[in-house]
Amino acid sequence: MADQTPVIELRHVDKHYGDLHVLQDINLTVHKGEVLVLIGPSGSGKSTLCRTINRLETIDSGEILIEGEPLPQEGKALAQMRAEIGMVFQSFNLFAHKTILQNVTLGPIEVLGIPKAEAASRAMELLRRVGVDAQAAKVPAQLSGGQQQRVAIARSLAMQPKAMLFDEPTSALDPEMINEVLEVMVELAREGMTMVVVTHEMNFARRVSNRVVFMADGQIVEENTPDEFFDHPKTARARDFLDSIKGH
Amino acid sequence: MSAHTMSMRDALYEAPGPRTKRLTVIGTIVSLALVCVGLALVVRQFYVTGQLDAKYWAFFARPTTWLYLLNGFVGTVKVAAMAAVISLVLGVLLMLARTSGIKPLAFVARVIIDFFRGVPSLLLIYFFYLGLPTVGIRMSPFWMITIPVALAASGVLAEVFRAGVNAVPKGQTEAALSIGLTPGKTMFKIVLPQALRIVIPSLISQLVVVVKDTTVAYVVSYPDLMQNGRVLITTNDAVVSVYLVTAVIYILVNYAINQLSISMARRSGNPIISRTTENPT
Repeated sequence: MADQTPVIELRHVDKHYGDLHVLQDINLTVHKGEVLVLIGPSGSGKSTLCRTINRLETIDSGEILIEGEPLPQEGKALAQMRAEIGMVFQSFNLFAHKTILQNVTLGPIEVLGIPKAEAASRAMELLRRVGVDAQAAKVPAQLSGGQQQRVAIARSLAMQPKAMLFDEPTSALDPEMINEVLEVMVELAREGMTMVVVTHEMNFARRVSNRVVFMADGQIVEENTPDEFFDHPKTARARDFLDSIKGH
Repeated sequence: MSAHTMSMRDALYEAPGPRTKRLTVIGTIVSLALVCVGLALVVRQFYVTGQLDAKYWAFFARPTTWLYLLNGFVGTVKVAAMAAVISLVLGVLLMLARTSGIKPLAFVARVIIDFFRGVPSLLLIYFFYLGLPTVGIRMSPFWMITIPVALAASGVLAEVFRAGVNAVPKGQTEAALSIGLTPGKTMFKIVLPQALRIVIPSLISQLVVVVKDTTVAYVVSYPDLMQNGRVLITTNDAVVSVYLVTAVIYILVNYAINQLSISMARRSGNPIISRTTENPT
């Protein structure tokens, strides 16, 4: 399913938070149509890694390439690149003062310059796709967490991104709402979206991903197909981690 | 963030028990009684000293008195409104400069903000009234009162806006940047509108301060409510009655500002209670 065109490449990426070496010589390539899952214990640097890809976190050294081009550092070029890479946050981050519909149309209108009416009809289509079109006139605070996160995904999709980053998209959700969000993500994966997903949902990782990257202490410890990784983890760190989360 | 759904009182105090309820009732009765006694004493003193005599109040029956007060009132409204507009704009600009992340600009903004916050507005007024003319800069009394009042308020407002901007969750900025908004658009479309709603109560207090600051307009002989009241005092030889009436008018004006802002806040009001939590790993 995934072809070999690299969409996101990280080369020798290093980052420190003070004394903490949070990303250590990270090398990673995400190919077109690939679903890459980043797992690891908390504090392992997986969220930070995910956020460096659209420069919500800066890096100290190394290189990040998007479709072969270096990640812009600032200005219009950076904004342009961010528009092309969707991001879904753990805490949804819907614009609290805008309606659900406005949340989805803001980017297309302000960034892509699409006329309001067209943006609205496309947004409604996306909201229908993620099953929250009935809530279009409400504000985020009136929606459940699961609904908000589906709107956040629709907001990203409205920008027609080349790739999407998911930073623990289900970690802030009540258990009964996790599946409704995962289903939308499974659907996206099936349609061939290039995805980087930081998650603790091992079933999702196993079923949907093409590759699992296991991180610990700022390093990529192990990288494999999901079946190999979950059934025959090579390193002690990965075995310990998988043991510790069994039964969840 | 769920604290927003409760009123501040609910958040700070637990629900009273029977003993507290009893104490509250007793306290209310005692303090009401004290207030009544105090008022009675004041009225009695006024009566004894003759302040309630007809001669101190009769001129309020003349339309010219009220017309004169009305003129002063209009003057106050003009100065206060202009000063409010200038200080709001200047406050936003100073806040943007201070939070710009451009170090020299932020430093300059900070110095300006601290200066205007630290200097009494009366001193600023004297500077415009007595200082500037010595270097050949002359302006009308209207601007001599409006500009200093606006400058003094802008320093405070810049800090109020900054507090509001800081109170908007960081995730809002990140989400805006992640869909490709520039930092400028992120500020104006996403952060500032939410910050404004957060700081509406502080904005109201500051507008009231602006109205009260205009009362020193008599220094520059601008005919505001206070200045015209003072003229009435001399022409009618009546201090207490005029000051009482003027005070009531000021209270009504500031009460109106309060009500106006509250209804504005309601009207602008999508509920902006955020369910989001801030805990990135």
